[in-house]
Amino acid sequence: MNVALTDIHRSFGKNRAVDGVDLQLGTGVFGLLGPNGAGKTSMLRMLATVLPPTSGEIRLLERDPRRPAARREIRRRLGYLPQNLGYYPSFTVVEFIEYFALLKEIPSPQVPKAVAVAMERVDLGAKARAKLRTLSGGMLRRVGIAQAIVNDPDLLLLDEPTAGLDPEQRVQFRALMRSLGESVTVIVSTHLVEDVGAACSEVALMSAGKIVFRGTPEELTARGEGHSVGDAPLERGYSAVLAAARS
Amino acid sequence: MSIMSMPLPAAGRALRLEFKRNAVPYVLPLLAAVFYFDALRTADGFPPVWTLRASVIGDHMLFTFSAFAGGLAAWTGSREGRRNTLDLVASTPRAAWARLSVALAGTLCWVLLAFVAGVAVVYIQTALQATWGGPPLWPVFVGAAGVTAVTVIGFTAGVFFPGRFTAPLVAIGVLLLSQIGFRESLNLTASSGTYALLSPTTSPPGVDAGVYYRVAPDLSIVQVMFMGGIAVALYGVLGLAPRLRQLAWASGRPSLRAALARDDDWLPSAVAVLLVACGVAASATAFALAGTAKPDALGGWQIPALHSAASDQPVPAAQDCTSGSGFQVCVHPAFGFYLADVAAALAPVAAEIAGLPGAPVGAREVASLSGGQDVWSGISGNPPVFDFTAEHVGTMFGEFYGIPDSASWRDGFRQGLLDAFLEAPSQHAGPGPLDAAQQAVEDVLLTSVGSPPLGASSGQTAVNGKLKPATLADISVAAHRFGALSASARHAWLAAHLTALRAGHITLAQLP
Repeated sequence: MNVALTDIHRSFGKNRAVDGVDLQLGTGVFGLLGPNGAGKTSMLRMLATVLPPTSGEIRLLERDPRRPAARREIRRRLGYLPQNLGYYPSFTVVEFIEYFALLKEIPSPQVPKAVAVAMERVDLGAKARAKLRTLSGGMLRRVGIAQAIVNDPDLLLLDEPTAGLDPEQRVQFRALMRSLGESVTVIVSTHLVEDVGAACSEVALMSAGKIVFRGTPEELTARGEGHSVGDAPLERGYSAVLAAARS
Repeated sequence: MSIMSMPLPAAGRALRLEFKRNAVPYVLPLLAAVFYFDALRTADGFPPVWTLRASVIGDHMLFTFSAFAGGLAAWTGSREGRRNTLDLVASTPRAAWARLSVALAGTLCWVLLAFVAGVAVVYIQTALQATWGGPPLWPVFVGAAGVTAVTVIGFTAGVFFPGRFTAPLVAIGVLLLSQIGFRESLNLTASSGTYALLSPTTSPPGVDAGVYYRVAPDLSIVQVMFMGGIAVALYGVLGLAPRLRQLAWASGRPSLRAALARDDDWLPSAVAVLLVACGVAASATAFALAGTAKPDALGGWQIPALHSAASDQPVPAAQDCTSGSGFQVCVHPAFGFYLADVAAALAPVAAEIAGLPGAPVGAREVASLSGGQDVWSGISGNPPVFDFTAEHVGTMFGEFYGIPDSASWRDGFRQGLLDAFLEAPSQHAGPGPLDAAQQAVEDVLLTSVGSPPLGASSGQTAVNGKLKPATLADISVAAHRFGALSASARHAWLAAHLTALRAGHITLAQLP
C-alpha cells in the first residue's frame, strides 16, 4: 500500500477538519470529492507531510513520515500541487520547474532532462522561457503540475488540478493522470465530478471531515438513481450520498 | 548527509537561479544614483588622503547600502510567505535552512558586489589623486560586515513576518537605526560609556588621520565582531525557523505538545542553536570590549585587550619640499598635492618679512595632534621655521565642496604665518589674539602681498577677542598711515620695534 491512514484526525482549534479517516490505497488514480470545507485540502496537506495529524497514524510509501529520514525519503518520491499554487513571478517556466527539481533532490546532472520531460508532459515547451508573471491561469496550473511530476513521483497529490484549464487541456490532463496512475498512486482532490468519472479508478467522498463513500465512479453513479439533484449521473450520485450523509 | 544537505552542484544551480532572479538588480540604478550623490560626491569633497576618503564607507556608503540591503533582503526573505509557496516548498525533501540559505546568499552576493563596486570607485578615484599611502582595508571589512549583518537582519525579518510591507518597514527601520537610534540611544559621552563606538557610522576623522600614525584597528575589530556576531546568530535563528514557526502556530493549544514532541532532525537544530550561541557570544564580547575603549593620543580609540603598541609608532615618510634656495616649504608626502599652493601662498609674505628678527626661513607641515593635544601653527627652531598642520587644508578641499574660494584659502594661510610672526613666541600653545597695533601691522603686510586686510572685516576682527568694533576704525586709520610708508621704511621700523610690538607694548598711536 502506498497510502495507509489509520483513524486520522486533524483539528484547527475547535474545528475538526479531518475526523477519523481510514484509507488504504495502492496504485491508480483516486478521486477525492466533497463540498467546500469537507476536509479534502487538510487531508492532502497531511499526505504531503506539511501538516502533521492531531492523532492517528499515517504511512506513506511504506514509511512513517514522523521519522525525519523516512519523511525525507517520502518527499523525494512525492509530487504535490496545492490548491492555491504560489509562484515566483520573476522566474521563467523552466527556472521554476528547475528550482523545484533541485528542492526535490534530483541529482544535478539529471535536472535539465527531468525538467524538459515534465514540461513536455504538460505541453509547456513553447513557454519554457516565458516569465511566470506573463502566463494565464491555465498555463500556471500546468506549471504547477509540471513541478509536481518533475521528480517522477510514486505518490502524486493534486488539489484541484484542472481548475483554470480549458476543455482541451483538461482532456489532455485526464489522459496524463490515467497514464501516471498505471504505475503510481495519484490522489486528485476536485470539485469537478466529470474529472473523477473520466480519470479515476476509485473515488471517495468526504463530508464534515469523514469519508462517507468509497467505491468506483460507477458505484457512485448507481447511488444517484432516483435522485433528482444534478445534471449528470455522477453528479446525482454525489448529491445523493451527500444528502444521505447530512440527514 | 551534510547539515545543509545541498551538494555543491545543486547548490550552485540553485544559487545561479537566486542570483539571476534576485530583486537587487532592479534597484541598482537607484542605489547607484544615491551612492553618487551622497557617498561619492562627499568623498570627492575630501582631500585625496586615504583615511579621510575611506571614512565615507562608514559614514555614507554603509548608511545607503544598509537601507537598500535590509529592504531587499526582507523582500526575498518574505517571498515564500508573500507568494504563498510555503506548503509547496515544505513538501520537498530539501531542508528549509538550505533553501533559505541559498536565497539569502543570492541577495548577499548582489549586495556585497554592489558594495565592493562602490568601494572600488571611491578607492580608484582616490588612487588617481592621492600622492602617498594606500587603501585602508579595515573600513571595507567593517562596511562589509555591516551590510552583511543588515542583510541577514532583513532576511530574517522577512522570513518571520512575511508581507508586502515588511521590506519598506525594514528599510525605514535600518535608516532610523543607523541615523539616530544606535548613536542616540547609546549617546557617546564621557559618562555613558563607549558602547556607541560599536556603530560604524562616525564623523570624519582629522584631515591627517592615518598619515603620521597608523589608525589602530582596535575599533574596527570590535565592530566587525559585533556585526558578524549578529549575522551569525540570526543565521542560526533561520535554521530554527521551521520549528519556531510550528511552535508559534501551536502555541497555547493542545497541539503544542505534539509540535514539541515531533521527531524532527536534531542535528540541524543543534547546529543552529550552536550558531546562535556563538553569534551572541561574539556580539556580547564585542559589546564588553567596546566598554573598555579609551581615547588614544592620536585622536582615535584604543581597546586595551586588542591594542598593539606597533600601531602607535610613527609612519616613516620623507617630506616633500619645494626646491630652490628661497623660502622652503615642506609637507608630508600625503599632502604633496597642495605643496605648490602652500608655497605660492606663503612665499610673498615670507619675502615681505625676510630679514626681520624671528622671521621664518621656511615652513613645514607637522602632525595636528601630539600627545593627545592639538598642535597649533607657530614659529619655532633656530633658524626659525613656520610650523603648520594639515588642518589648514581643511576637510572640504576637493572638487565637490572644493576650495570654494581659493583666494580666501590662500589668505588664511598667509594670516596664519603673520599671526605666528607678530605674536610673542608661543609654540604649540594655540593662537593668541592680536592686539590693535599687531592687527594694524598684519593688515598692512597682508595688503602689501595682495591679500585683503583682516581689519576690513569687522566680523572677523570682532571675534578676535581683544578688539571691539569701536576700535576697528582706529585700526583702519593706523594701518592706512603705516601702509603709506615705503616698504623699506616699514621694514626698518619693524626691525627696530618688532620685539616691543610682539610684547604688546606698541599702541596704534605709536605706529608711524
